[in-house]
This record gives sequence, C-alpha cells and structure tokens, in this order.
Amino acid sequence: MTESGLRSHRGDAWLQVAFRQRLFSMAAIYSLYIINKSGGLIYYKDYGSAGRMDTNDSLRVASLWHSMHAISQQLSPVEHCSGIELLQADTFDLHCYQSLTGTKFFVVCEPGTQHMEGLLKFIYELYTDYVLKNPFYEMEMPIRCELFDINLSQAVQKDRVALLGR
Amino acid sequence: MMYVFDRNGVCLLYREWNRPLRTLNAQQDHKLMFGLLFSLKSLTAKMDPTSAEKGNLGVPQLLGHGCSFHSFRTNTYKLSFMETPSGIKIILVTHPRTGDLRESLKYIYNLYFEYVVKNPLYNPGSPIRSELFNTTLDQYVRGIA
Repeated sequence: MTESGLRSHRGDAWLQVAFRQRLFSMAAIYSLYIINKSGGLIYYKDYGSAGRMDTNDSLRVASLWHSMHAISQQLSPVEHCSGIELLQADTFDLHCYQSLTGTKFFVVCEPGTQHMEGLLKFIYELYTDYVLKNPFYEMEMPIRCELFDINLSQAVQKDRVALLGR
Repeated sequence: MMYVFDRNGVCLLYREWNRPLRTLNAQQDHKLMFGLLFSLKSLTAKMDPTSAEKGNLGVPQLLGHGCSFHSFRTNTYKLSFMETPSGIKIILVTHPRTGDLRESLKYIYNLYFEYVVKNPLYNPGSPIRSELFNTTLDQYVRGIA
C-alpha cells in the first residue's frame, strides 16, 4: 500500500471511530426510575444526563412524580383514567408505565424517541424475573440485585444499538 | 375543556365543551389544575437532562427560564399547555389521540390578545367576560375538534 493510500485508510478508520463515539455519547435514554406503590424510589439509574442528580433529589423527584400521577387521574374528564403515560417537555420525553400492583417505571429519553412502551414492559418483565423471584428481596425496598442490573444494562444497550440501526 | 390562568393562579377563563365526569366543584378543580401544572413545571426544570445548572427542586424561577413542558397524555385525555412570557397559562384538554396543539394554543393566545387585552374595559387579572372572545373561541375550537 502506498503512503498516501495508507494515510487515507487511517483517516477513514478514525472517522468511523469518531462517528461511532458520537453516536454512543448521544444517549437516547437519559435515566430510569422505578418507584414502589407508595412513591418511594426503589431504583434509579442514570445513562448520561448532564448534571447528575444526587440521592436526595432523585428521591424528591420520584415522590413528586408519584403525586402528579395521582392528581392527573383526578382531573380526568372521563372515567377510568390511569395517570400520565407520556410527558413531553422542551428537552426530554418522560414515558411512564404503571404495573397492576402500582409499581411505576419511568424513563427519561430524548424527545421523539419511539418504542419506549415496549422497553418499559420489557424492564417490567426483568423486574418480575430477577427482583420479585429473588428470595432475598424484600418487597417495596430498594433493588440491589446483580442479575437485574446486568440484564437491564444489556436491554438498554440493545435498545441503543437498535436506535443506531435506524 | 379549556382553562386560562394568569400568573397568580387566578382562573381567568374556564370553558367546557364535553366533560362527562366531574369529581370536584369548580373552584377545587381549578386549584388542583394550577397546582398540577406548577409542580410539573418544577419537576421538568429539575429533571432537564441537558443542563447541569438546575438549582434545587421547586426553587422559584423567572418566567421563561428552566425547562418547561408542552403536553402530557394519559389513557383518557391529553393536556396541552402553553405559558406566555407574561405568565398567562393556556391549557387545552382533548382526546388522547389529538396531535400537536402548540399552534392552536398560540392562535388562542392571539385571540385573547386581540379581544381581551386590547379591550379598554378589561381589568387585568379579572375573569374574562368578553362576548366577542367567547364566540370566536367557540368557533375556532369547534373547527379544530
């Protein structure tokens, strides 16, 4: 290979790496929260939002969301309202899924991110499999299960790769 | 349904076109709605994942500062929200499948401006009783519904 050829080849490779890094640093999902039926935060994971929240703030935000969810049901003009599913803010979207037992899962993602309902249901499945079936897990307490962590990060990663494929 | 609030939380206008379920009396309902919007705004300002400097949760913010929101959706309704720089909040509650209503809210704000603010007899901060505004609004909302 000639020298100029080599250089352009290297340039290409570098460009590819830079492109990939840019894509990966462009987080589609900013953070994930799981709150129990009384509004206590039992799981919080951050996937790269600017200015990470400390523990106290995340607890406050979680319980605030719990109350807002309940109030939105009271204000419904039609019966059988089950609370906010999607909140569209200026810089993010918040998707929320409430299970039948009252546990709420919500993700903060980029505006316009699709298929979040599917991801939330999948996270719920992971929760039932790796948290609820864990004999050492106490109900309504913070989640500290290694298998759940591993599978969750895989799921989120997969979701990101699927987003990259668009 | 539609609500208009001023920056002090006074309900300037409440109209309903179709509301099958009513759980609270009107005043309680307005208070609850304003409280919900106020808290949701402080929540979004705190949650904003794109800025590092956010201050504490619930810290008072200047109008137009901090991350706000424009709509939320439940399984039974969708609420679209707009806040103007003067602190007027316009809220539309619609069917959950309606699309983006930001343009409509702007249009309604224009109506408010033309028929209410420019009315020399209107006293800012008091409920809106402009006949012209109400009829034009009615026409417009029936047009987009």
